Amino acid sequence: MVGLQAISAHNGWAMAITGSIIVMGGLSVLAFIISQLHKMIGLFEKKKKEAPHFSKPVADIDVLNDPAATARMYQPLTADLGDSFLLADLYRIFEREQLPHPHLTISALREAKHLQSLGDGLFSWKKDSDKQ
Amino acid sequence: MELFIGFLKNTGYYLADMRYVLMICVGILFCFLATAKKYEPLLLLPIGFGIIVGNIPFFKGFGLGIYENNSVLHYLYFGVTSGLYPSIVFLGLGAMTDFSSMLARPKLMLLGAAAQMGIYFTLLSALALGFAPKEAASVAIIGGADGPTSIFLTAKLAPHLIGPIAIAAYSYMALIPIIQPPIMRLLTTREERLIRMPDTDRPITRKELLCFPILGVILCCFLAPASIPLLGPFFFGNFMKESRVVDRLAKTASTSIIDTATIFLGFTVGASTQADVFLTGKSVGIFLLGSVAFSIATASGVIFAKIMNVFMKEKINPLLGAAGVSAVPGSAREVHLVGLKEDPNNYLLMHAMACNASGVIGSAICAGILWSFMMR
Repeated sequence: MVGLQAISAHNGWAMAITGSIIVMGGLSVLAFIISQLHKMIGLFEKKKKEAPHFSKPVADIDVLNDPAATARMYQPLTADLGDSFLLADLYRIFEREQLPHPHLTISALREAKHLQSLGDGLFSWKKDSDKQ
Repeated sequence: MELFIGFLKNTGYYLADMRYVLMICVGILFCFLATAKKYEPLLLLPIGFGIIVGNIPFFKGFGLGIYENNSVLHYLYFGVTSGLYPSIVFLGLGAMTDFSSMLARPKLMLLGAAAQMGIYFTLLSALALGFAPKEAASVAIIGGADGPTSIFLTAKLAPHLIGPIAIAAYSYMALIPIIQPPIMRLLTTREERLIRMPDTDRPITRKELLCFPILGVILCCFLAPASIPLLGPFFFGNFMKESRVVDRLAKTASTSIIDTATIFLGFTVGASTQADVFLTGKSVGIFLLGSVAFSIATASGVIFAKIMNVFMKEKINPLLGAAGVSAVPGSAREVHLVGLKEDPNNYLLMHAMACNASGVIGSAICAGILWSFMMR
């Protein structure tokens, strides 16, 4: 069977029209959704938590040679971690805030005992560090 | 002496006939086009060499040919007949695709949808010419100008036609610089070709790039679940790329994995064109319909862009419609070049890539739709 008769016999017209509508409809919906995507993201985006504001300028502090000032300056950053925390979490925060020499700073704070070990890998700030 | 004569009778020289010689010439032509003319070398070179290897005559029954059980080529060919290689290629393609130009200009996605009309027109033509419905659907998908999609659908619906359909699809992809420009010029005026597109509508955030593959896979695969084997890996590859947390995986998918799949896909598809199986009247019909499909797809995109211009304040360059076929990035490049010929300062490439990316999604959806139609 050939010609228009073959198309009709195999339901060709319906397949072509339905297929065209589906692909056109599908991509139109996708196009509409992605055109609104930035608005949706804006709607669902949580307002960034007001993290304890860190008002630098870090460059003014000698983070390695003045651990007391460094501890005072950095302590508010860890408020979300609670009283005890892992050094890895502290390191992550320092990195997130793009603080200079995070690893060396933590070492300096430990050596100066501003970071005190609680055992089991947990640390806390020295209680009287604010007074120093 | 008898042993020597027996050996001679088993050689390819003795077993060859004109059909094999003709196919080997086609293979050499493909290799020539790939190396000397640099027409889609990544595809034509493995296919061309595969055609040469697949058409060396051999003594049947030794488990040598691609269609003989337990032959090495047969095992490699399993990746084609099972639809494995196309899925892997789509994974790599997703990891390589940057959707930011499409996300910045969502309206251009419609051109990617319009260019798929060539598929349905060819479906009707193939049915009218006497092809069985499953064969007609496999031939029609050539209009998507997407080799892996064509191979995937044909493997599912009409595996006996994989050779001619794959060769037709890849040939027309390689012939984009010859087929598309005349159609683009024929259907557009000089004024239309000179239309400039704004640089970008808005900057795209990382969150949008991250959300898109998830939204895309959900929307498209819910609409046409039969496209999961293509669009699933495609969007997964893109998500890996955009997440930026698995750079190693994304890089591997977009380099080693897609390259490996392309080598085996091209080589085995080429080898599947064994003259005694390939050279039939149907193959000629498939080639003719393939060119019709590709031309209509190009024309549909251009005409749809012109229709959109009737309703839109900000006109779009109708040349972009030709990039709605999913031959990435060949057709986008061609649109860009045709635009540049009219105005050397009119850069259409990024806009054309938006249409191209949407064309990839569109043709995969069409494959899913056709497959689900034929499963009924």
